[in-house]
Amino acid sequence: MNSKELETMRISFKKLNERRMEILNDPQTKKLQERVKKIREDSVNNMEELLEMAKKRFEENGIEVFLAENDQKALNIIYNIVKDEKTVSKSKSNTVSEIDLAKFLTDKNINLVETDLGDRIVQLNPTDKRPAHPIGPALHLNVKKIAEIISESLGQEIEPEPRIIMELVKANVIEELSKCKIGITGANSVAAEDGSLVMVHNEGNISLLTLMETHIVLVGIDKLVSTIEDSISVIKLETAYATGTKIPSYINVISAPSKTADIEKRLLNGMYGAKKVVVILLDNGRRDALKECLWCIGCGSCIVACPVYNAVGHEFGYKGYLGGRGVAMSKFIKNEKTSFDSGLYMCTLCGLCTLECPVSTPTSELVEKLRINSQKAGFYPKAHGVIKKNIKSSGSPFKS
Amino acid sequence: MLYFRGCVAREKETNISKSTEAILREVGIDFKTISNEICCGSVLMRTGFLEEAKDQMQKNIDNLKGQKVLVSCAGCYKTFKEDYKEILGVELDVIHTSQLFKDLIVENKIIIKKSESIKVTYHDPCHLGRHCYEYESPREVLKFISSLVEMENNRENSRCCGSGGGVKSAFPEIAINIAQERLKDAEKTMASLIITSCPFCKLNLNQAYIANNNNNNNNNNNNNKQNHKYYKSHDLEVLDLSEFLLKQITSQSGGLKNE
Repeated sequence: MNSKELETMRISFKKLNERRMEILNDPQTKKLQERVKKIREDSVNNMEELLEMAKKRFEENGIEVFLAENDQKALNIIYNIVKDEKTVSKSKSNTVSEIDLAKFLTDKNINLVETDLGDRIVQLNPTDKRPAHPIGPALHLNVKKIAEIISESLGQEIEPEPRIIMELVKANVIEELSKCKIGITGANSVAAEDGSLVMVHNEGNISLLTLMETHIVLVGIDKLVSTIEDSISVIKLETAYATGTKIPSYINVISAPSKTADIEKRLLNGMYGAKKVVVILLDNGRRDALKECLWCIGCGSCIVACPVYNAVGHEFGYKGYLGGRGVAMSKFIKNEKTSFDSGLYMCTLCGLCTLECPVSTPTSELVEKLRINSQKAGFYPKAHGVIKKNIKSSGSPFKS
Repeated sequence: MLYFRGCVAREKETNISKSTEAILREVGIDFKTISNEICCGSVLMRTGFLEEAKDQMQKNIDNLKGQKVLVSCAGCYKTFKEDYKEILGVELDVIHTSQLFKDLIVENKIIIKKSESIKVTYHDPCHLGRHCYEYESPREVLKFISSLVEMENNRENSRCCGSGGGVKSAFPEIAINIAQERLKDAEKTMASLIITSCPFCKLNLNQAYIANNNNNNNNNNNNNKQNHKYYKSHDLEVLDLSEFLLKQITSQSGGLKNE
């Protein structure tokens, strides 16, 4: 991000903080927070059991289930479904970004349409396609810059006016969607006992994607909880922390393909919604991750508070996994080198993110732990190597 | 009492250790320092050099055991209090200068008039505040000797100065950028002094302040439009609590008896 983008991002974060203040201090929210903390901790502790249960229940509900151990396997599963398509569509999803689906499909000459407005803007930005915030990907771009991006990419000169931009992108996305038969989304929470996928959105785009012939849901196994009630608690808290509102415009709960039995009680799939629903449960390092790293509900509060993120933006993070917790996660998704490159040593260990986190993720402790192995694998800043040597020989970090 | 100065106060921000020692002499506290004092191990712990940190702790432990250890640095404080206990299983009797100063004032061992007209703000070091929950001792000292105005983000919500966790050495520019953001918080209080109780915070905040001023001067000289990142609406001085306290004692007593 350049200095202008960073400044825009900081102003957006400040507005977000002001908007969230009231709801975060509401005793109801605090109660919900305590409940969700426990749900997340218990769920991560029981991940294997929940995974078995989810697989069974999805199958019973008529949803196709795959377990993908890594990104390559997930990509292959998706490719087998979409290979005959020219265009497929998707909603905002960190998990989909994690496996680099956009690049993979481009290489296979399949066009991927982003339906979330912020994502679509970031996707059309020719210089930097990384998001600034998990819920507000384009928070770092001001309206003038966005108008420039849209004018250039859609070949139509437009005014820097939010509504005009929205209408134009909407028309463009709807036109693209008319060519699509397959929608790809993530899920914010997965209820194992019910075999249900819970998705949150404000724009209504996910609803459109669930009405495609085939709906593919890619979701990390860390998103598992027991019941729909638990899922709703998680996403209510996420919404409060991410946007400052009590409830999102839409909560979609998908538990089976669209079906009807209105003619002689004969079951038919694919009435208005998806004829086929496919769930891909993604491991990709999550089973080996430190448990605290998986508590995250994806609200982005940590980066709004983070002094380093406010100073450097998404340089401190890995793909959509932003800030210290994202960097820690990248070690498990990829490896030591990736977390080093994503900013493992940029964290000042100040601990403010833990205070701001609805589930109290102890990021500074995670980072400190991960540095031990990173250092042993040879990934540490040169300056730290010099200081280590200095201390060994002179007792002082400043003298050799 | 052993006064463990810590690397930054011993070698970079030496006025902090000098001020602390002067205050100790002033109140007649019997203390010693270690002439060949070495790093407590904090910087090694925070940057992933666990084995090396353990070695460093082993080298230190005999000098520290069985006596009260006074520290200036928030990093030394956390390391002695938590890491020595966790890693070596030794519970040290450690006290931070801000806690000692508060005790001395409460016990009437430092007698000093409050300077209402001096408006100060306080920056919580992460390792002393959020990590070790010491928010009030430094504030009590400041309220006793001056007028304390809080920044918007204070105590557990305090924003980091940017130098911790090895960031200052590995990414010096990021450390300065973060400190400049923190100085903006201080600016808003209209205080003339920003006081902290960690030599590392003082070093970084002060360097950021100097960088701001240099940049402003350059901008003015070149008649450039002022860069939004830099600011200077009034003079702000960055001091450690020990430096400020000594200044106040000295200004009222007209010099120290043991100097």
